[in-house]
Amino acid sequence: MKVVPSRSSGWVRPVTPQKPASAIIEIESVSQVFQTSARKDHVALSDISLAIEEGAFVSILGPSGCGKSTLLYVVGGFVSPTSGSAKIRGRTITGPGPDRGPVFQEFALFPWKTVLGNVMYGPRQQGVRTTEAEAQSRALIEMVGLKGYEDFYPKELSGGMKQRVALARTLAYHPEVLLMDEPFGALDAHTRTRLQNDLLNIWERDRKTVLFVTHSVDEAVFLSDKVVMMSKSPGRIREVIDIDLPRPRRRSELLLDPRYQKYVVDIERMFDEVDETGSRS
Amino acid sequence: MTSLAALGKRAAPVFACIGLLAAWQVASLALKNDSFPTAIEAIRAIPDILGDKEALNNILASLRRMAVGFGIAVSVSIPLGLLMGRSRAVAAFFNPLLMVIYPVPKAALMPIIMLWLGVGDITKTLVIFLGVSLPVIYHSFEGAKAVEEKMLWSGAAMGLSPAQRLVRIVLPAALPEILTGCRTGLVLALITMITSEMIARQSGAGNILFNALDMGQYDTVFAMIIIVGAMGICLDAMFERVRARLVRWSEPQFDMPLSFS
Repeated sequence: MKVVPSRSSGWVRPVTPQKPASAIIEIESVSQVFQTSARKDHVALSDISLAIEEGAFVSILGPSGCGKSTLLYVVGGFVSPTSGSAKIRGRTITGPGPDRGPVFQEFALFPWKTVLGNVMYGPRQQGVRTTEAEAQSRALIEMVGLKGYEDFYPKELSGGMKQRVALARTLAYHPEVLLMDEPFGALDAHTRTRLQNDLLNIWERDRKTVLFVTHSVDEAVFLSDKVVMMSKSPGRIREVIDIDLPRPRRRSELLLDPRYQKYVVDIERMFDEVDETGSRS
Repeated sequence: MTSLAALGKRAAPVFACIGLLAAWQVASLALKNDSFPTAIEAIRAIPDILGDKEALNNILASLRRMAVGFGIAVSVSIPLGLLMGRSRAVAAFFNPLLMVIYPVPKAALMPIIMLWLGVGDITKTLVIFLGVSLPVIYHSFEGAKAVEEKMLWSGAAMGLSPAQRLVRIVLPAALPEILTGCRTGLVLALITMITSEMIARQSGAGNILFNALDMGQYDTVFAMIIIVGAMGICLDAMFERVRARLVRWSEPQFDMPLSFS
């Protein structure tokens, strides 16, 4: 793989389809066009190619309306691309499947199920016996810090707790790839920070492949091995940036680390450039 | 203080009933009209009706038709409404049909149905079925339409097929809305039950009422009105208990003993 020097620094790579041997997800020339009412087509994604290595934590970063969530939905199989294809382990994605577990900003918990019922839902669907599914689910609930809340209904939980349940529910059926769609976007700053820390702790144990959509630069740099910067109208990949920071990462150490600070400052500058049309959020 | 307020809240319906009966009694005594018996006279006639075997059988036959009509209506309307809510094609097909049927008073169809099917149970049950179906379809449709897309996606990622998603996600998620429709449907079942018996005068609670009217037995007329009203209140209360139990998870948070933010 060739690394070309960029305008700002040495860590920016060219936006060419990279296909490392260990890629678990390959996105090949994906375009997504939505027909709007005004007879004008909205190009959400334009010729996106991206390879995601197994075990990598990859963030897709960009201004609102750049199609970053749409890209995630294509990988999830929830949306079929207008052209191009996405593959997991070489197989073309044609629909949703338990190998890819989504976590949404809206939590999307089943409100008629308790916390335990929600977490057990996936394993039960996969045919795991009730006793086994329950034992695994209780362990997961404890891991996400909700021990004691097993019998609560979602409406009795705060936003942060709901997102913990949603994460446990998805981890419960052992997806190979986690697809996180601005999972902490609806939470207050404090809760958000705590969930980022906890997610990192959980992730650093088994290093599942994660595709993480966000519009927060700090969040992307703090969590990721790689940040995919997108520009909007039409949605394209602007840069792919490797985040070369040691793990396990601790927020208190990272915030003081000049390398972390440089990543944040450089990416924020790039963010301002791609967001020139103004609708920054 | 709170227990006193709670007590007042519980007693309020009782006071309302007593107040209504008292106003009725006073109005009746003041008007001195033969066709408007006093509340006490009407209440006195109730045991006579319920004690009469034939009358009781008539009322039970009414309730049976109502139960059958309601049962069939609910078991057809809920799946139809849910399908309409999740499939644009199904909705596009059924919506115009329902829009035509919706404003037509179902009792207005009775003469035609009577011509075809006679004045027996089938005709009356069919009218009850029609009366109940529309609100249940409508609420099931609205409930299914409002189900969050991401919830269905979450289910799909777990491996649920479209049919499984309809039964195991759309149905429970829309249940509060569906049950609201069923509650309206239950009251409509009672109304169409009486009107059907009013038109096809052969048996039933409505028949007793209108026979008494023909014969000028006004205390029986008013006693029947009280009985039908009481049936409505009891059925609704029973339904509400079942409903509250089924959708406990969706009730507003302050009704639950546990809460925090």
